[in-house]
Amino acid sequence: MASSGAGAQLTRRDLLAVAALGVAAGAAARPARAAAPAGQLTYAVHVSLAPTWFDPAETLALITPYMVLYALHDAMVKPMPDNLMAPCLAQSWSASEDGLSYEFVLRQGVKFHNGEPVTAEDVKFSFERYRGAAHELMQEQVAAIETPDPQHVHFKLKKPWPDFLTFYSTASGSGWIVPKKYVEQVGDDGFKRAPIGAGPYKFASFTPGVELVLEAFEGYWRKTPAVKRLVMKVIPDEATRLAALKRGEADIAYSIRGELAEELEHTPGLSLKPVVLQAPNWLYFPEQWDPKSPWHDQRVRQAVNFAIDRDGMSKALFGGYCKITDSIIPYTFEYYWQPPEAVYDPEKAKKLLAEAGYANGFDAGFLYCDSSYSNMAEVSVDNLAQIGIRTKLEPIERAAFFAGYTSKKYPRGIIQGASGAFGNAATRLATFVVNGGAYCYGNYPDIDALYPQQADEIDRGKRAAILEKMQQLVYQKAIYAPIWQLGFLNGTGPRVGESSFGRIPGFAYTAPFEDLTIKGA
Amino acid sequence: MKGYILRRIGYCLLSLFLLSLTIFFFVRVTGDPATLMVEPGASQADLDAIRQQFGLDRPLWVQYAAFMASLLSGDLGQSFYYREPVMSLYLSRLPNSLLLAFVAMGLSLVIGIPSGILASVRVGRFWDNAGKLFALLGLSLPSFWVGLVMILIFSVYLGWLPSSGSGTPLHLIMPAFALGWYFAAAHMRLTRSSMLEVLGSEYVKLARLKGLPEALVIAKHAFKNALIPVLTLAGINLVIMVNVAVVVETVFAWPGIGRLLYEGITFRDFPIVQGVVLMGGAMIVVVNLLVDILYAVIDPRIRLER
Repeated sequence: MASSGAGAQLTRRDLLAVAALGVAAGAAARPARAAAPAGQLTYAVHVSLAPTWFDPAETLALITPYMVLYALHDAMVKPMPDNLMAPCLAQSWSASEDGLSYEFVLRQGVKFHNGEPVTAEDVKFSFERYRGAAHELMQEQVAAIETPDPQHVHFKLKKPWPDFLTFYSTASGSGWIVPKKYVEQVGDDGFKRAPIGAGPYKFASFTPGVELVLEAFEGYWRKTPAVKRLVMKVIPDEATRLAALKRGEADIAYSIRGELAEELEHTPGLSLKPVVLQAPNWLYFPEQWDPKSPWHDQRVRQAVNFAIDRDGMSKALFGGYCKITDSIIPYTFEYYWQPPEAVYDPEKAKKLLAEAGYANGFDAGFLYCDSSYSNMAEVSVDNLAQIGIRTKLEPIERAAFFAGYTSKKYPRGIIQGASGAFGNAATRLATFVVNGGAYCYGNYPDIDALYPQQADEIDRGKRAAILEKMQQLVYQKAIYAPIWQLGFLNGTGPRVGESSFGRIPGFAYTAPFEDLTIKGA
Repeated sequence: MKGYILRRIGYCLLSLFLLSLTIFFFVRVTGDPATLMVEPGASQADLDAIRQQFGLDRPLWVQYAAFMASLLSGDLGQSFYYREPVMSLYLSRLPNSLLLAFVAMGLSLVIGIPSGILASVRVGRFWDNAGKLFALLGLSLPSFWVGLVMILIFSVYLGWLPSSGSGTPLHLIMPAFALGWYFAAAHMRLTRSSMLEVLGSEYVKLARLKGLPEALVIAKHAFKNALIPVLTLAGINLVIMVNVAVVVETVFAWPGIGRLLYEGITFRDFPIVQGVVLMGGAMIVVVNLLVDILYAVIDPRIRLER
């Protein structure tokens, strides 16, 4: 049996080292911080908190529930600062050479908020109980879960599945552990009303639509949280959140955009905290497979890539805090390949258009977009007009837009798309590039041919090479004109010491919660 | 009388049935809620699982039949977002909305009625013009703008009041004023026009000819009669305030029914939207039924006519 994958970029040897460190550090897990938690931090949260977020079994393919999960619960393996697959409740793990089984060793001495120890049975129970995102996929792949003793869990797969750890640690909530005995005692509804987890904060109270109150869990294995009490108040209006921050009613405010973000940045005592989401935006050319369309010519698509003023757009709309990666795959994803730097060169764009036979430009029809981001699309329309590609903006309400995108209702024109879905480079390519992908309006046989080659490849190096090749082809063919990874702007007040914003790459909210501090406390 | 009441109840039930039909199908025209419950780009399997979980994969008529069957047993369904019964969510927010609506209504009457009276007895003069300007501003300034300006002045600059939330009387002042502001203007206009009509009537002229003091004429003879249409409007406005204070409740993060409706619309939470609209509709229907019955009791001709 060989060790495998403690992190996205780790080799097996690295993993052994990590596992050994984990064994040493976690042999008797106990809080690293001796000082008692003190003080309170108040959040102004932009969305209503739902009780389903208290139960990892209900985690949908949405990032927002993790805002609460990171406080209340803990996972076997989860993204943490400096390691996107950090050992947490599992102090180490290893994969068999044939890729058919994974063995996890639990950290010793870890307890739930009710004092019960976290055991292998809880891990098995949490996986089997899980019914959220990718639930069916995971159930299909896992043949059996064995728990030979309270510290060891073996996942037996039906066939080699190189993405097992990706899904278990980042792309689903199945690796977040709940106490079996307690859940069976109180039932699913009872658990949502009074959740108990193994995270750094305990549930204190919840008023739907109003606030969630959390208390520090002094027995948290990683460290004792420094802040005693967290209050998450729901304030749907952005201007009101900023007002609450200015008045000191809130210490941390999520999602402050545009001019309000500028105001926040210039208000003494307040700090703007931008984070880059794992949510790239792009332009897509659904006509590129139609030989009669101008978009069929690769040079036209490349011209668009040169025509978009990404820097200018980011500065104008998001204070310059978006990350320009030139890829439709988040840079934090496993198997990500970094394309060459995006260049803004309208003259070169015009030259490419002329070479393609469109020296005077052409009418490109509609540019479809989610109306929430029509401000970005407006800039794109303007940028394209400067090189002669004339488009009309067609903002569509979010749900209708994505329903139309997947049901192929926009076969002509340009689509401004986005995705914040979890996964890795392979899952993104499957959805947005490879034949049969939900958001694909066409496909390229050479890329399609590569996809199955990597799907069952358990040699990480070989798999990475295939996925890099696929991403290079996407870039060379200019299937997309990637814009950026979106900047999510937040604010903190003068009392906040460590806010934990941006410490976990791609994560929108404050985490790890146990690292939060109050100045002077 | 019994036949009349039964007929009116029949009309009410028909209205509620048509409302249920309309709201059920209209919310479904707005789009697929499953797409809002996942990140864009989520797998088809995840989307299908959500549709199945909430019964959205069934034919519309099956969904409607299930909805009506639940409704008849007093169940408004379960929220997609909160995964809680809509009825319990509604009832948990109702006290907050009632509190806000009653205070806002009180403010609107305290401001609207005296200013309307003052305008009517000083027609064409300063107080009348000031009243007209007040009515114009009240009816034309959107409540979200009034709310945000109030937050800026009273919370951020002066620091007198909390910017949002609930729990203390201080939290109530700004949302109640922002909500009552529009209705104060409406009440002021109606009081003014109603007073002018009454002040021109024969019995008021007689009262003046009898030599009664003007204050007594206005307060006792004119105001009492002018108040009837104002209070009728106030009753209807109160129902509106309870159910559709969407903007004010959202701006001030007030946990009432209006914000519940906003959340329902935002997340395509069909059961919440259906439930809130139906409960609001039921309130209006019941109030109208009671008014109809009262009219019939007061004036027998009404029950014979219909």
